[in-house]
Amino acid sequence: MDFMVINLLNGISFGMILFLITTGLSLTLGLMGIVNLAHGALFMVGAYVGWTVVVQLELNYGLALLAGGVIAGLLGLAIERGFLRYLYKLVDEQVLLTAGFIYILTNLSLWVWGGMAKTSYTVPVLSGSLPILGGTYPVYRIATIGIGLIFVIGLWWLQEKTRLGAIIRAGMDDKETTTGLGINLGRVNYLVFFLGAFIAGVAGVIGAQLLSPDLSMSFNILLLALIVLVVGGVGSVQGALVGAMAIGIINAFGIAVFPEFARFLMYLAMLIILLVKPSGLLGRTT
Amino acid sequence: MRTDKLKPIGQPWRELLLRLTPYIIAATLLLILPLFLPPYLQRMITKVLIFALFAMSLNLIWGYTGLISLGHAAFFGVGGYTSGILILRFGIESFWLVAPAAILIATLFAAVFGFIALRVSGLYFLMVTFTLGQLLFSLAEQWFHMTGGSHGLRGIPLPDLGFPFIWNTISWYYVVFLVFAICYFLLYRIVNSPFGYALQGIRENEPRMRALGYNTWLYKYIVLIIAGLFAGVAGVLFAHWNKLIAPVHLGLPTSLLGLLFVIIGGAGTLLGPVIGAVVVIFIEFYASIYTPERWPLILGVLFVIAIMFLRGGIFPHLVNLWKKVKSRYSYGSIKS
Repeated sequence: MDFMVINLLNGISFGMILFLITTGLSLTLGLMGIVNLAHGALFMVGAYVGWTVVVQLELNYGLALLAGGVIAGLLGLAIERGFLRYLYKLVDEQVLLTAGFIYILTNLSLWVWGGMAKTSYTVPVLSGSLPILGGTYPVYRIATIGIGLIFVIGLWWLQEKTRLGAIIRAGMDDKETTTGLGINLGRVNYLVFFLGAFIAGVAGVIGAQLLSPDLSMSFNILLLALIVLVVGGVGSVQGALVGAMAIGIINAFGIAVFPEFARFLMYLAMLIILLVKPSGLLGRTT
Repeated sequence: MRTDKLKPIGQPWRELLLRLTPYIIAATLLLILPLFLPPYLQRMITKVLIFALFAMSLNLIWGYTGLISLGHAAFFGVGGYTSGILILRFGIESFWLVAPAAILIATLFAAVFGFIALRVSGLYFLMVTFTLGQLLFSLAEQWFHMTGGSHGLRGIPLPDLGFPFIWNTISWYYVVFLVFAICYFLLYRIVNSPFGYALQGIRENEPRMRALGYNTWLYKYIVLIIAGLFAGVAGVLFAHWNKLIAPVHLGLPTSLLGLLFVIIGGAGTLLGPVIGAVVVIFIEFYASIYTPERWPLILGVLFVIAIMFLRGGIFPHLVNLWKKVKSRYSYGSIKS
């Protein structure tokens, strides 16, 4: 298959995972004004749970997605209900608290799943390749793009077409007025936090097949998500999508052309965006 | 209200003693006690002082100026890596050449990173400093023939001072203490200068400072450079003391550790980060003896405890305690 097409597809599928990683972070950052540093750790928990369901218990993939999402979501909810809500308006403290949870979640995962990095696996349903444009392409990556698209459409619909989405957008723009209109933003906060963590968990289950689950994931995934956020802009599904696609495609071509320095291309993209348009490509203007 | 007029005559020695007590305690603890400690503890308090200096430099930008950075370890690591690279890769041995060069490079990095990071503010600042720190982390991992890759730069020799000097655990301690004391004094002067007050003004209300005619961008930029310089000093000491500098010393874990020292000890106080470093490094030491594999869990729990229950830090509590002790033994109580 054509060099361009295959790298473009690689970039899009990686970009979809990046989108799933970033969008939850972007939502919580936009609405609650905090960077959930434990986001990468929640991704890692999702990845491990997915591995347990699919490889150890040999159950089906849909169940793995659900289990990874729900467990990560509940952990996120516990962090918000148990701790973050007592730190109202103390932004730095909230961020550092989630940093503490990186260590806690990572070490507990080490306890539960052991220190060995699990090798990346492929679900039987998604193994093999499909013929495309006179070449073949792995089913798994196509499925990733498909699942990603479902989330893109679902989240966009949630953001633009539902009452909850309208409340979230209103909350991002003007917290006081939204609360003044009788909306319980506290409840919206933890719903959004749960949703963000849930998507991180789902992303973990999907991403585990591309990036084998291991403990350094907590930091690496967080880094990727923050780069995407800086490039795409905070607070909207579109921003996360554009940023994720840009970084995913840059990364794929970078790996194809000079593998050792692919990572630095991402940083370079981020630096250029920062110097030219600090609010990100599609950042919400405040 | 007590004023000087109420001061009873005839007890000046008592007043003087009370006023001097904190300094006497500090001097005893820092100068004399280390002589009688076993070598492993001497090594540990040396580590405490190095990281305390690092945390104090971070406190300058976070505690005093209100900028939360997740990439401060970059300057610490650059200081350490530069001295290691100059010695091991370029064969420059004299400490008097290596250390200033390393500190200069760390400061230059701070100038470049500060310029980029100050394009944005608030949580974006945190995100950008984090990614810049990780950029250096990746560079240190990839540039194998210069940095030794992910294993780090090993075998950094003892500083060559150009005159005979016996390096052992206690002499290391006193050298580090000397540097620490000089830096502490400089930081004290910075914090208690008009520049330092302007920084605290920026922390409290930046728009007002701008309205008053301060170029707040420039103030923030300069304080980032100064903090980078002091972090570089700590990094140079650390590289020589540890004999090894690895990518982790540039990255997020080290930056987070610095933030933990600051918040446990007390942000925005000069001595707070020092106390934070003492507490955390001692807990780390004993945790690594009893349950090394659970240390990260304990570290995470320390974060949670520090933020949920110790907000404001230990140092302000110590000050309050001291004030109570002082008022009890001070002239005020003599009357009763």
